[in-house]
Amino acid sequence: MSKGKIVSIHSFRGGTGKSNTTANLAAQAALAGKRVGIVDTDIQSPGIHVLFGLDENKMGKTLNDFLHGKCAIREVALNIGEHAFDAEGRSKLKGKDIWLLPSSIRGREISQIIREGYDVNRLNEGFQTIIKDLNLDYLFIDTHPGLNEETLLSIAISDILIIILRPDSQDFQGTAVTVDIARSLDIPNLILMANKAVPKYDFADIKKQIEETFHAPVAGVLPLSFDLADNASKDLFSLRFPDHEWSKALRGVANAILAVK
Amino acid sequence: MSENISSQLKKSFLFRGLPEEALTAVAQKVSARNLAEGDVLMRKGEAGNSLFMVDDGWFKIVTQDASGGELIINKTGPGETIGEMALLDQAPRSATVVAISPAKVFELKQDAFQEILNQRPDVALALIRGFSSRLRFSTTYIQKAIDWSQKIAAGDYGFIENTQQILKGSESDDDKATQLLSAFFQMVRSVKAREDDLKQQLEKLTLEIDEARRKQEFEDLTSTDFYANLKEQAKQLRAKRMASENEE
Repeated sequence: MSKGKIVSIHSFRGGTGKSNTTANLAAQAALAGKRVGIVDTDIQSPGIHVLFGLDENKMGKTLNDFLHGKCAIREVALNIGEHAFDAEGRSKLKGKDIWLLPSSIRGREISQIIREGYDVNRLNEGFQTIIKDLNLDYLFIDTHPGLNEETLLSIAISDILIIILRPDSQDFQGTAVTVDIARSLDIPNLILMANKAVPKYDFADIKKQIEETFHAPVAGVLPLSFDLADNASKDLFSLRFPDHEWSKALRGVANAILAVK
Repeated sequence: MSENISSQLKKSFLFRGLPEEALTAVAQKVSARNLAEGDVLMRKGEAGNSLFMVDDGWFKIVTQDASGGELIINKTGPGETIGEMALLDQAPRSATVVAISPAKVFELKQDAFQEILNQRPDVALALIRGFSSRLRFSTTYIQKAIDWSQKIAAGDYGFIENTQQILKGSESDDDKATQLLSAFFQMVRSVKAREDDLKQQLEKLTLEIDEARRKQEFEDLTSTDFYANLKEQAKQLRAKRMASENEE
């Protein structure tokens, strides 16, 4: 599988910094010259568009339109590299091959899809089609936290599954189940990443513990950072502050993804 | 009185090596002086022309800090010698010495000392030995201090335990090299304690998993038709993509 890898980013609980991590990982891949797509499948609470400077007015067709059969998946993809964006970090993506497939942020459309549900097979077809249409190297999928049907689908079809966890007991428990599911579904590449690690802890020890517990590689232990919180999703942090500890560790995870053959 | 002075003289590194009768000869040239609390024994900058041995009471050795305030460098008490270098080099006093209690000192004036040196070459030689052994002691420990400093820089504190004996074994209490080393070791211990403290702050996180719950949740999720179907679909999808890539 050398072409068009699906990279699902998952976390058992919300608040792990999943959308932020997904956006930054995708941006790093694009900076490395890869053709990158990002799908926001967190249909119930979309958020990744904010990191790319999109609001309701700038958004055209959404994933909701595609799932309801109103448009082709190609129409949903918005070329981030073609937009001259205002923020310093994002502007580094100018001219890069990076597309965002946003979910609708209109309340009515969100409630409709929650009420009526959608065909996860159509979602799957959409993924496969957009990879071909845009000739993508990577399709990053920002999933809804937990293990519902569409999340299980995203996990099932992924070539690389990134599980983000916070180093605490509750996340450890939930992550254990997700890891078991990933193994049951024969995911070829499972990569773990710890985020929001409190700096007083020994990061090397955290990495060792997680690896020993889950028998999977930890590509990075990213610190809890007030600087990141202060950025408040206004910009792509790892592009805006490339020398920050968080950004350095994030690049380690990005490199682990790019290293997968 | 002169016997008392002789035994005081023996405590000083300078006179330690002298034979009894030479000590007596030196002791005869010494005069006693009483001081009240607050009396100044010597002032910084004054010409130094005598040595003092503290028989009783305590002194503070002071200089001035950058803002002109009093800075206490050291305290000194019974058995210790003050200003011995002045007997040889007559340099100005390097610090002010003030009694902090009623005190009694023995004073050996420089001209009396000079007289002894002229009359007794054997005493002069013994004094030179005293100075050179002290110098050797100091340089040995300076060399050690350099080695230790390099170890500290590398985070190796193992030498602290091993070198305690050497310090305890050194016979002279009045030796400035010993005082410096004891201050040095005090510093190293403080640095080590601080470092250990920091290491402890880098806490270990203990994370545990309830394996029974893990198994139960896994079974709940995977026992549905949806899951079985998904697993089969994912398998087929992978096979299909693999095949299409092989075609390319």
